Amino acid sequence: MTTETISITDLRRTQPRFSGIESGHRACLGCGQALAARLVTESAGPDVMIANATGCLEVFTTPWPESAWRLPWMHSLFENAGAIASGMEAAMKAQGKHTKVIAMGGDGSTFDIGFQALSGMLERNHNVLYVCYDNEAYMNTGIQRSSSTPHAASTTTSPVGKERMGKRHLKKDIITIIAAHHVAYAATASVAYPSDLRKKVRRAMAVEGATFLQIHSPCPLGWGYNDALGIEVARLAVQTGLFPLIELERGELTGAMPLRHPTPVSAYLKMQQRFSHLFKDDPRALEELEHLQAIANHNIEIYRLRGDGIDALDSEGSDTVRRGGSRWA
Amino acid sequence: MAILNRGAFAHPSTSLQYHTGTWRVQKPVHEHRAAPCHNACPAGEDAQAYLAKIAEGRFQEAWETIVRINPLPAATGRVCHHPCEGACNRGEYDEALAIHSAERFLGDEAIKHNWPYPMPPAPLESAPAVAVVGAGPAGLSAAYHLIRRGYNVTLFDELPEAGGVLRTAIPQYRLPRDILHAEVQRLLATGMKFEPQKRLGRDFYIEDLQRDYAAVFLGIGNRHDREWSVDGVTPRGLRSGLELLEEWVALGSVPTPQSVAVVGGGNTAVDIARVLKRAGTHEVHVITHQALPGVDVPPEITMTAIAREITQAQDEGVIFHEFRGIRRLILRGEKVVGLELVHMKKVPQADGKLLTKAFEGTETVLHVEQVIPAIGQDVLPFGVEGLLENRPFFAVDHNGALAKHPGIFVGGDACGGRGTLSRAIGDGRRAAEAIDAYIQGKELPQPAPVQVVPYSQINLNYFEHAARVKTPVLPLEARKGSEEVEGGLSQTQIFAESQRCFSCGNCFACDNCWTLCPDSAVLKTTELASDGSHYVFDYDYCKGCGLCAHECPCSFIVMKEEL
Repeated sequence: MTTETISITDLRRTQPRFSGIESGHRACLGCGQALAARLVTESAGPDVMIANATGCLEVFTTPWPESAWRLPWMHSLFENAGAIASGMEAAMKAQGKHTKVIAMGGDGSTFDIGFQALSGMLERNHNVLYVCYDNEAYMNTGIQRSSSTPHAASTTTSPVGKERMGKRHLKKDIITIIAAHHVAYAATASVAYPSDLRKKVRRAMAVEGATFLQIHSPCPLGWGYNDALGIEVARLAVQTGLFPLIELERGELTGAMPLRHPTPVSAYLKMQQRFSHLFKDDPRALEELEHLQAIANHNIEIYRLRGDGIDALDSEGSDTVRRGGSRWA
Repeated sequence: MAILNRGAFAHPSTSLQYHTGTWRVQKPVHEHRAAPCHNACPAGEDAQAYLAKIAEGRFQEAWETIVRINPLPAATGRVCHHPCEGACNRGEYDEALAIHSAERFLGDEAIKHNWPYPMPPAPLESAPAVAVVGAGPAGLSAAYHLIRRGYNVTLFDELPEAGGVLRTAIPQYRLPRDILHAEVQRLLATGMKFEPQKRLGRDFYIEDLQRDYAAVFLGIGNRHDREWSVDGVTPRGLRSGLELLEEWVALGSVPTPQSVAVVGGGNTAVDIARVLKRAGTHEVHVITHQALPGVDVPPEITMTAIAREITQAQDEGVIFHEFRGIRRLILRGEKVVGLELVHMKKVPQADGKLLTKAFEGTETVLHVEQVIPAIGQDVLPFGVEGLLENRPFFAVDHNGALAKHPGIFVGGDACGGRGTLSRAIGDGRRAAEAIDAYIQGKELPQPAPVQVVPYSQINLNYFEHAARVKTPVLPLEARKGSEEVEGGLSQTQIFAESQRCFSCGNCFACDNCWTLCPDSAVLKTTELASDGSHYVFDYDYCKGCGLCAHECPCSFIVMKEEL
């Protein structure tokens, strides 16, 4: 057997995959968004450019004078990623180039602040893939509730107290709103299912026109779980039915990852500090637990998530690994 | 073009200048820990390692991985009791891997394709010589490992052929003789000098060996049947299970009365019971004060015979009487006509020890024409009287060194409390290591404490259920003589089975760490990295979140405290 020593720098340079984001970024330990963004750039390939809304991703990848990006990347404001991406796409078109534009934002800039720019982008059907990293609150500014924050989650602006058990309102059903724009492809994905995520990015990239991807991206600080457990938490969000993995084309449901064994929502909730009040001795806690279970059951019902026996691409089969790293996507 | 103000742009990948590794308080490291199968093997085989080779399609390398430890895989794949399968983590998930089938397949392939044993250059003529007495599993293993360590080895046996109990007492339906013969001949050809028909105490003496050789290994087995009587009464013409078994193996026939009771719960008892059934005895009973194997039966009271052999014997019509002892022989003259049985069980005593107790009022009578004790053997002291000192077995340490006799090492059944092929092979290997240290005048290194990967540390999310491969078994009506009962599997089946392995404690290159690291601090290598994995941690950037360790399916990545 021969031994060859190669420097780690050379090894990094010769990795057998493209990655649009390099190491050295300042994301927290175990950041779900950093992982999600890398997986997106990995499957979108090098011929893309990014319009990034304000948020964690923008902040942690570009501490002046450095950048973690290996792609053309632009940041303007919190509210205008959709508009900036539209402009970039129009400029490409005018120059006769085919580089695809990807807009990226968190749930704050997508669901709330940048929503009208996004809606306009979809309405004009720009050839842009809009990726929303959904970590269910304004994590960058200190964990304020957004319209994506799930019901009953505690944040600094939806605290637990005498009046309320965390957030009073429901999580906005953004994917249905997006689909109502009659776009060719809109889907949800999770970092816990990287093969499924890659497949959806590639499918969206292949569409000429506006597409949308909502990626559930766990946040160890905002959700309050051990840094090492991000994938575990994200997986349970899917397996409980609280974050269904679905695909919508022209507003119609065309795909849903079946759940082999729907898990009770408590398994997901009890791992996270933001739901810890639901496990206190309080009659309201029990009611809110039941409420969240009902939401999961509702998702399972309307998206027909209940699996029909063992399926290689269901919630337990699609993350199966094999010797040598061959995944299905 | 407008001039960009400072901060408005940055060059790509410049974040690499900033080493986020400084944030870290714990770091992931690759740590190979023992798979339960490896830890459970009395011979010391690492089944996980050779199953991995099979899964990569490297069958010859898989066989070489086995024979670096155990030179007789075709035999052990058939005869061994396979504690590896009992320990297999996959057993808790769905079904244990069919490790014995893989071992047997590799052993057979090696014979078929004449794969050479992976041997270092032949020992120099001037190298020290070691004598090995007894060419059974322990002796063959010791001789083989001594040659691998560069010694000249002379192997003595009283019989004309090597193989020991494998040849003389294991029935052919468990171990076909063409397979055994081929494997043993190939092993003898690795460079040991074989001296058949030389008996210790008749043709040569311990003193000769001590004079002519740098060290001596005794693998002489336990060939002396223990005295058996019921309250001092023995029937006329009593013959032991081992004696009859050897007769069947050598001649192909044994006396067949209409009904027989075999006394004992070990492999000899089960073997002779099955042999008698094949030979034509109508009714064969096995009487044991131990329990039949079962899921909830504690091992200390379970029969020592291999569970699958017991099941096959039951299929063949052998009647087992568990928790029974013999209170009295019912004789007509000196001939047995029946046994008085009584319920017996091991019961904990005040000092915590287990003692077999008979329960009054539970006596029954069993009508049989012959009773065959198979209650075990001691070492035959012939030629080794001075070393045995009236003990039933040799008093040896963990490595087989005989107390008070430096330079003499013993292994296998001669040590007592053994009784398995794999243990004998392991004894031979450990003794070879100890002999090497003895001759070189070195201390043996203390064995490092073994860390085993428990089931709870396997990340089951990344595995799918898959049924264990079914091994073909000879139909009952065809089990008449010496045809092998259990069949082998095809290469395709073995390959598929190897894919079920959890790869406990070892990297199987699934890409999980590389795929899931949020900081791109796991780098993939095209060749095997120095730690045996396919990945390298870039500690300049790893922040120590622990995600890779938690998501490693095989528990090969562990987090270590830093600072």
